[in-house]
Amino acid sequence: MDPAGVFATSFERDQALIRTRGQWVALVLFLIALVVLPHVLGPRLVAISTNMLIMAVVVVGLQINMGYAGQINLGQAAFMGVGAYATGALAIKFNLPFWLSIPLGGCAAAVFGFIFGLSAVRIKGFYLALTTIAAQSLFHFLILNLPQSWFGGSNGLTLEPAQIFGFSFVSETSIYYLCLAATAAMVLGAYGIVRSRHGRAFVAVCDDDVASGLMGINVVRTKATAFLIGAFYAGIGGALWAYYVRFVAVDQFTLFHSIWFIAMVIVGGLGSITGALVGVFVIKAIQESFVTLGPSIVAEFPSLGGDVVFALMNVFLGGIIAAFLIFEPRGLMHRWNILKRSYRLWPFPY
Amino acid sequence: MIDFVNYFINGALVGLLYALIAMGFVVIYRASKVFNFAQGELVVFGGFIVWWMVASLGLPLSIGIPLAFVAAALFGLLVERVFFSRLAGESVFAMVMVTIGLLILIRGLILVLFGPQVRSFPIIFPLQPVIIGEILIPRSLLIGGAITVIVGFGLSWFFNRTRAGLRMTAVAEDHQVALSMGISVKRSIAFAWILGAVLSTLGAIIFLSGKSLNFLASDIGLAALPVALLAGFEAIAGVLLAGLIVGIIQGLVTAYLDPIVGGAIGTVFPFIIMLLILFIRPTGMFGWKTIERV
Repeated sequence: MDPAGVFATSFERDQALIRTRGQWVALVLFLIALVVLPHVLGPRLVAISTNMLIMAVVVVGLQINMGYAGQINLGQAAFMGVGAYATGALAIKFNLPFWLSIPLGGCAAAVFGFIFGLSAVRIKGFYLALTTIAAQSLFHFLILNLPQSWFGGSNGLTLEPAQIFGFSFVSETSIYYLCLAATAAMVLGAYGIVRSRHGRAFVAVCDDDVASGLMGINVVRTKATAFLIGAFYAGIGGALWAYYVRFVAVDQFTLFHSIWFIAMVIVGGLGSITGALVGVFVIKAIQESFVTLGPSIVAEFPSLGGDVVFALMNVFLGGIIAAFLIFEPRGLMHRWNILKRSYRLWPFPY
Repeated sequence: MIDFVNYFINGALVGLLYALIAMGFVVIYRASKVFNFAQGELVVFGGFIVWWMVASLGLPLSIGIPLAFVAAALFGLLVERVFFSRLAGESVFAMVMVTIGLLILIRGLILVLFGPQVRSFPIIFPLQPVIIGEILIPRSLLIGGAITVIVGFGLSWFFNRTRAGLRMTAVAEDHQVALSMGISVKRSIAFAWILGAVLSTLGAIIFLSGKSLNFLASDIGLAALPVALLAGFEAIAGVLLAGLIVGIIQGLVTAYLDPIVGGAIGTVFPFIIMLLILFIRPTGMFGWKTIERV
């Protein structure tokens, strides 16, 4: 709900993403913070931020696929991998510049995802999720068994840094800005998609696919489109990853990574783009603080051993996912909205 | 020719092992309508309990293994108490997502309790293979196959013929309807997880006997998925036949296609079978025809 005194007097105003002056100020401040971030933080934190930006693209795609269209996708990491490999191969073989190879990587992933989305013609629900597990293992098989000259097989691919006008994105800071620009564009696009007629069709199909079919929505096409968009986002994320790490290997894209992406969506909140971003930030921050604090915890309690700390992180995060599903299935964003609402209504209960 | 028979029989026995693991999926599905993504982790956890009882504590097999089953049952009950009893009556979606959380959690738990080292699993079945003429059969798989067949038919009888089993079948049909008929969904789910954990431990014993064990062994859970799918998630005895089919195909493909393609097609082939099943007949061979088509 809007704060008191904000009235939409036209359809455009009613559809606007940013509704009050306060929100404009907050957004501009947030963007400024993102821009100055690499000059304030140390190299390690910048690296983590770059990682978060890349994952944000992937998870926003998963959010559209899973949170909006309701199609559980356990293959997001495979789609990301397809994007990374396609970008890598295009950049190495055809010397394509990054502004061409990144979108093409996204398209390659989108095609791969679309094929699995098409299985929605026959099946739905968890059976559809199982086809995405198959996507994961097929991806591994194909990469490892296709001729080594194509995708490097088990050796992986090593990329040259992205270049434009003689400037190459080698330093941590420059690659951060590249990822920031790409992520900003993709997230903006996501906000656009979910409030377009496609986004509304996704939500309708998610709520009830029989009813939405009766309303004239092409259910199969909508589901396949959701996979297409979700996989495109994953592919862009993978492409950025390829230029960031400059080395692509299959074990960077396992089923376990897909599960982490799902965890981020659940913790952030299903059905909210902002929630996806929050989920990425929270889960990644917890992971990284475990990694950072791990050695000092081990120094404090030497009996624990270094592996235990990492394992405890898994226990902790697995517990968090289960706890969110049990106590707050709509994630952190829902909590935040409740808080905001009660703040705006205070001192009245409703 | 003798090679072919060898591959065939070994494939069939490996298939029966998959069938036993797949039975864990099916039993949990059949009594709670939840698809358990953490099945592979349950198997590894069961394996580690056995390892802990027998190899670490040094209990004799005759005491250690029954104790391991009891411990696994308690673990299953614990999982149900902590996670699923709160979700009874909620959407199945939430429950299935919780099993994804469980997957991460149990894996972490295994690492915390037992560490990432590779452990050598106790030798439960004698190592020397059974030799008939020129055919070589691993003894653990042979005994395991026999156990699987017995357990499969026993559970099938339980779920299709006894009153308690039919009650759980009703839960698998629909939670709301079962509740309104006076059936305790919670108790059914608790039983499902206890049975699932015990079956997984049994699967771990047969799978791992005399091999090495670490947390990566959970891949067998995914390998068993196509078997459960081919049989249909509700069919318990059907899993045996599906296991045989998948196992034999995988064995032959590994033997004859791997050299041509350059390896690893044996591990990916079950997934190709799985995709085909999903496209052609999503309910599997013996599943209930309740899958809604778009």
